[in-house]
Amino acid sequence: MTSRRKGFITMSGKLLGTILMVLLMCWTVNAAEKPIVIGGSLPLTGQFAETGQWIERGMKFWAKETNEKGGLLGRPVEFKIYDDESNVNKAVTYAEKAITVDKVDLLFGGYPGTAARAVMPVVEKHKFVYVSMGGHMKSFEQGYTYSFGGPPLMGEWWYEGFFQWLETVPADQRPKRAAVYTMNNPIGASLTESIIIWTKKLGIEIAIDEKYNLPLPDATPLIVKAKQMDCDLLCSNGVFADGVMTIRAAKALGYNPKAIVQGIGSVVPAWSKELGPDGDYVFSGTSLHDKLKFPGNDKLNAFVKKEYQIDGYPMYFGFGYVWMQTLSQGVEGAKSLDQTKIRDWLKSNKVDTIAGPMKFTDKGIPDPINFCTQVINGHAELIWPPEVRTANPVYPKPAWK
Amino acid sequence: MNLVLVFQSLISGIMMGAVYALLGIGFSLTWGVMKVINVSHATFGLIAAFVAYTLFKVFGMDPVASLAVTLPSLFGLGCLVYWFLINPITRAKAVIVSSMILTFGIAIILENLILLVWGADPRLLTTSYTNKVFAIGPLYFQYPRVLGFLMAVVGVTAIQLFLKRTLTGKAVRAAWQQSEASQLCGINLKKISMITFGLAVASAGAGGVGMAMLYSFEPHSHNLWLIYLFLVVIVGGVGNILGAAAGGMLIGVITGLSMAFLPYQWINVLTFGLLMLILIFRPHGLFRSEV
Repeated sequence: MTSRRKGFITMSGKLLGTILMVLLMCWTVNAAEKPIVIGGSLPLTGQFAETGQWIERGMKFWAKETNEKGGLLGRPVEFKIYDDESNVNKAVTYAEKAITVDKVDLLFGGYPGTAARAVMPVVEKHKFVYVSMGGHMKSFEQGYTYSFGGPPLMGEWWYEGFFQWLETVPADQRPKRAAVYTMNNPIGASLTESIIIWTKKLGIEIAIDEKYNLPLPDATPLIVKAKQMDCDLLCSNGVFADGVMTIRAAKALGYNPKAIVQGIGSVVPAWSKELGPDGDYVFSGTSLHDKLKFPGNDKLNAFVKKEYQIDGYPMYFGFGYVWMQTLSQGVEGAKSLDQTKIRDWLKSNKVDTIAGPMKFTDKGIPDPINFCTQVINGHAELIWPPEVRTANPVYPKPAWK
Repeated sequence: MNLVLVFQSLISGIMMGAVYALLGIGFSLTWGVMKVINVSHATFGLIAAFVAYTLFKVFGMDPVASLAVTLPSLFGLGCLVYWFLINPITRAKAVIVSSMILTFGIAIILENLILLVWGADPRLLTTSYTNKVFAIGPLYFQYPRVLGFLMAVVGVTAIQLFLKRTLTGKAVRAAWQQSEASQLCGINLKKISMITFGLAVASAGAGGVGMAMLYSFEPHSHNLWLIYLFLVVIVGGVGNILGAAAGGMLIGVITGLSMAFLPYQWINVLTFGLLMLILIFRPHGLFRSEV
């Protein structure tokens, strides 16, 4: 072999090596920059649109913050969000589509509980981690291993805080008779559980226990009955539409119990905005609140103040954020997008979120979290437990203005 | 028997049913006269509700007074929708099916427009008299319900008088009863149909404001209202204005009485069971179908 030929081969080898190295670097850089796609559906139109849109905003705030910090596992994150039109069947279809057709890297949690409940078997089938609200205890008792309530909106825990507080009220000042009106669906059923246990414990008689199908056509007969039976505790286990109708009928008919406990309707911003002072003094529960002192809440409050001119982030904005916060800690902890590794990490480690620290049980839920709220001067204030209290409870309920 | 509960539920139900009737008369009219099932009827009502809400919030205008703005506007909008969208499909063989598909599309577009303009938040029309009542003995009468009832009485009477006493109204009836003969008499069918459709859409506006005085509403509320529309028309008879009014009241009475006597979760079973019975034994409704 001539030295000229030898030199040519050496040169070619070096050139080839350089090209391969450049290609490898390009591939590595490209792979590093390829975004992590997080898919699923939210109710952006239809019955739950208001809530769904706040969840989406919370998720997007998390994505913005994450990308500004350099992404997840060093890769930017982006969402592929479908609008399930508040339809449970569509939520299931879109979850399947996100996993099998779009081949997303991660799945985000849906809303409401009925949709989350229906998506849980789908994610189990495809072995995809699903951090959402869950909806009620039964959905976490089906043996699913990839679903997490992080934190959940657990109907069974919803009134725990209220009754724990009521227990501190002297027995002679507590309500004596309760009227319990409940929407006839799994969420409503889950809300009644703690009422039955606690009223028995506190010696409160359940004088009325009625279920109604949504939409409630008229709240007048409900209130007439509660008034006639001298019920001084009204448990209105419903959503916004029937909740406001009940409040209006109570005011119109001059029914003023010692306490009104409301299901889900009173924790949405529209409650106070639309009802005004009539929406005040209503008790409810939550597993997340803008006035909690856990790290991160101030940042969310500052963002919604700047972006939407709202004092205190809406609860579902927070949920959109916190579900992603939990999922992302699972990803960072597992250092992988492998769903089983993420699941295993979440099951064996603690996550720190704006709702507080959480450690998940085998069912995928943390220890019970519930804060009692009361709407005071148009704001849902934290009443119980005492360490998170932001305002003193107003009890008994003042007369209607 | 708890008579106060029975009568209170009955009164409340009748007043609620009257508002359903007000919302339903225009739906019945277009279905009866033009064979057009206007699935977007309730959506036009919802637009009126949102406009009334905005006028009340911004200018303090009473929702009933806002009808002075919304009714003519919706009449005009209805005429335009008829002229450009409905009229072309009236030549189709299956007008009923075509109209349902077309107006379903219109409803979706309108819902998204509402979402765009007003957002997804639920709204409540809360006026100074929203929580006011007057009592007769132990029975309470809530102002918004009484007002809704009165609006329904005025609305039904006005449309009935229009159809029976005015030349245009008589032309509408003639076109419904004998389409070809009426055209031979010089009645402009297209123009008459346009007026009818405009009138129906305007009446939806009045019904929408009535509904907004009773219930909270959101951009998707029209889907729910549509169920009431079908109930009212099927019970009352297609194209029968007084029948629709009676149908609405009957639904209110059934709802009210069943709330007094039955567990609340049975109300829908009873209402829709009754609807099935009517469809089986009186497929054309309880009242004769006519204009």
